[in-house]
Amino acid sequence: MQKKLLEIKDLTIKFHTDDGVVEAVNKVSLTVHEGETLGIVGETGAGKTTTALGIMGLVDCPPGRIEGGKIMLDDRDILQLDEDEFRKLRGKEISMIFQDPMTALNPVFTVVDQIAEVIANHQQLGEKEAEQKAIEMLELVRIPAERAYEYPHQFSGGMKQRVVIAIALACNPRLLIADEPTTALDVTIQAQVLELMKDLKTRSKTSMILITHDLGVVSEICDQVAIMYAGEIVESGSLEDIFENPLHPYTNGLFGSIPDIDKEVEFLSPIEGLVPDPSDLPKGCKFHPRCKYAQHLCSVEEPVFQEYSPGHYAKCFVYEGKLPAKEVKKYE
Amino acid sequence: MAQIDLTLAPTGKKKSKKRSLWADAWLRLRKNKSAVAGMIMLATILIVIYSSPLYLDYDNDVIKPDLTQTLQFPAKGKLLGTDELGRDVLARILWGGRISIGIGVLAMMLSSIIGCTLGAISGYYGGKTDGIIMRSLDVFMAIPSLLLMITLVSIMKPTITNLIIALAIGSVPSVSRMVRAQVLYIKGQEFVEAIRAQGASDFRIIVMHILPNAISPLISQFVMEIAGLILAISGLSFIGLGVQPPDPEWGAMLSSGREHIRDVWHVTAFPGIALVLTVVALTLVGDGLRDALDPRMKR
Repeated sequence: MQKKLLEIKDLTIKFHTDDGVVEAVNKVSLTVHEGETLGIVGETGAGKTTTALGIMGLVDCPPGRIEGGKIMLDDRDILQLDEDEFRKLRGKEISMIFQDPMTALNPVFTVVDQIAEVIANHQQLGEKEAEQKAIEMLELVRIPAERAYEYPHQFSGGMKQRVVIAIALACNPRLLIADEPTTALDVTIQAQVLELMKDLKTRSKTSMILITHDLGVVSEICDQVAIMYAGEIVESGSLEDIFENPLHPYTNGLFGSIPDIDKEVEFLSPIEGLVPDPSDLPKGCKFHPRCKYAQHLCSVEEPVFQEYSPGHYAKCFVYEGKLPAKEVKKYE
Repeated sequence: MAQIDLTLAPTGKKKSKKRSLWADAWLRLRKNKSAVAGMIMLATILIVIYSSPLYLDYDNDVIKPDLTQTLQFPAKGKLLGTDELGRDVLARILWGGRISIGIGVLAMMLSSIIGCTLGAISGYYGGKTDGIIMRSLDVFMAIPSLLLMITLVSIMKPTITNLIIALAIGSVPSVSRMVRAQVLYIKGQEFVEAIRAQGASDFRIIVMHILPNAISPLISQFVMEIAGLILAISGLSFIGLGVQPPDPEWGAMLSSGREHIRDVWHVTAFPGIALVLTVVALTLVGDGLRDALDPRMKR
C-alpha cells in the first residue's frame, strides 16, 4: 500500500450568512495516497470547491468557518498551523489550479514574471535563476520560450491554463488540487490540457485531487473517485468500483444522465429535482427527496458511510438492508 | 487517445525581450499621439517655469512695484502687460508657476501615498478595519475639502510646507475612496485568490499585484487631482491663506486681477491661460498613462 499523503477526517465547513447557516461541507473524509489521483465528482453547489479551499486554508473567514475535522498532511494537522506557516505550505507543498484560466493570471505582468514569483517566493533563488527556472517550466508545459515575455491577454485559453499549471507545479508540490481545470476550455483543448496534466503528474510523482462534474474526465485520469452530494461524500472507491459497480442511487443517477453513443434513446434519464439549498438541508439522508428508493426511514435517520467491498464505501440504507429494495438498479 | 502535438509554432521572427512594466508602458506611451503632445507641452511648461530664476531676478522683475506702469496692456518689453502694481505679468506667471505646480504635485504625491495606503488596507482587509478607516475619513469628507484646508492652514501657519500638508490632507479622503473602490474590484478577481493559493503574503499581494492593477485607472484621476489642487491653492490665496504676497502665484494673480477684469482683461486672462494649459497638458499625459499602463491596450 502506498503512503498516505493527505487524510481528511470529518471536515465540516459552514458559512454564517445573514440568511442563516450554509452547511457547505459536512463531515467529509477523504484520503489521498502518494502519486495517486483522486477525483471529486458532484453537481454545482455540492461543496467540491469549498472542500478544496478548505485544504488550501483559503475559506473566506468570515463568513466561512471550518467547524470541525482534521486535515492531515503527512502527520501534521494543517488546520492547526498559523497563517504564516500555512502560507509557506501553499504553492510549495499544496498548490491549486483554478477553474477559469482567463482570470487566474495577473493581467499586468508577463507570464514568466508570474511563474518566477512563486519560485522566488518559496525557494531561495536570485531573480535571474528564478526566471531561468520559470522559462524551463514554460517549456515543460510546451510553451515556447520566446513567448515568455508576453502578457496573459496575448495567450489563448488553453495556453493560459498551461501557464497556470506551470505556476502550480513550479515548486514541485506534493499535492495538486485542480478545481475544474478544463471546464472553461473547449473540448479539443480539454484533451490537450488533461494529457499534459497526466504526463506532468506521472513525471513529478505529484498526487492530485481533481474536482470536476465531468465523469469522462474522471475516467481519463483518476485512480480513486469520490462522489459528493450536498456537502457530503455519498460514495467513494477506486475508478473500477465506481464505474463498474456504482452503489449509491445518486451515482447511478449520474451515470444515467450521460448520453450513450451506442444507444438510441428518446430521452436521457436525469435525476429529478434540484440540489437542496445548503442553508436548509433535508433531515436524514440528504438525497432522499430525489431518490427513487426512499422510504420513511430515509427522511428521519442518516445512513452510515461504510465499506461494502475493500476500499469501496457508500452511504445508503439499501445496502444496510433496511429498505425493501435490496439493490439499486444499475444504469443502462 | 491519439497523441496530440502540443508544441506551438513560434509566433514570428520577433523575439519578445524582457521589459519591465514601466519600460513597456513607456513604449506604449510613445505611440500615443495625444500623450506625446501632452508630454511636450508639459515639458515645455516645466522647463520654462523652472528655469525662470536663470533669467529673472526675483527682487527686480517679480515683486518690485512700479506705480507709473500700472495696468498696462501687453506691449513691447512687457509682453503680457502689467498688473495693478505695475509688475510684469509674464515674469510673475513664470515665477508663480513654480510655486503653483510645485505645491500641487508635492501635495498630490503626499496624498496619494497616504491615500493608497489607507485605501488599499481598507479595501483589502474589509470588515472592521475598513469600517474604522472609512468612517474616520467620512468625518473629513463631511467637511467640504476647501473648508478643511482653510481650517488646517489657519491652525498652522500659511507656509509652503503647511500648505502642502493641508492640501494633501484635504484630498486624502477622496483619493482613499478611489483606491479602495479599485482595490475592492481587483480583490474580487480570481487571480488574487490564485496568487494567495501560491503562498504570497498579504503585503505582497497588495503591493505587487493589486496596486499595479489599480494604478492604470487611477493615474489619470491623480493627475487630474493635481489640477484641482492648483485651483485649491488659488482659492486659499484668494482669502489670504495661500501663498503670501508679494510672492506670485497663479490663483492669487487671478483673484487680484478680478477687480479690474472689465477694463483690463490681460491681468486675469494670462494666469488663467497658463493654468488651463498646464491642466490640459496634465490631463493628456494622465490619460496617456492610463492607457499605457494597461498591457491589454497594446496594439
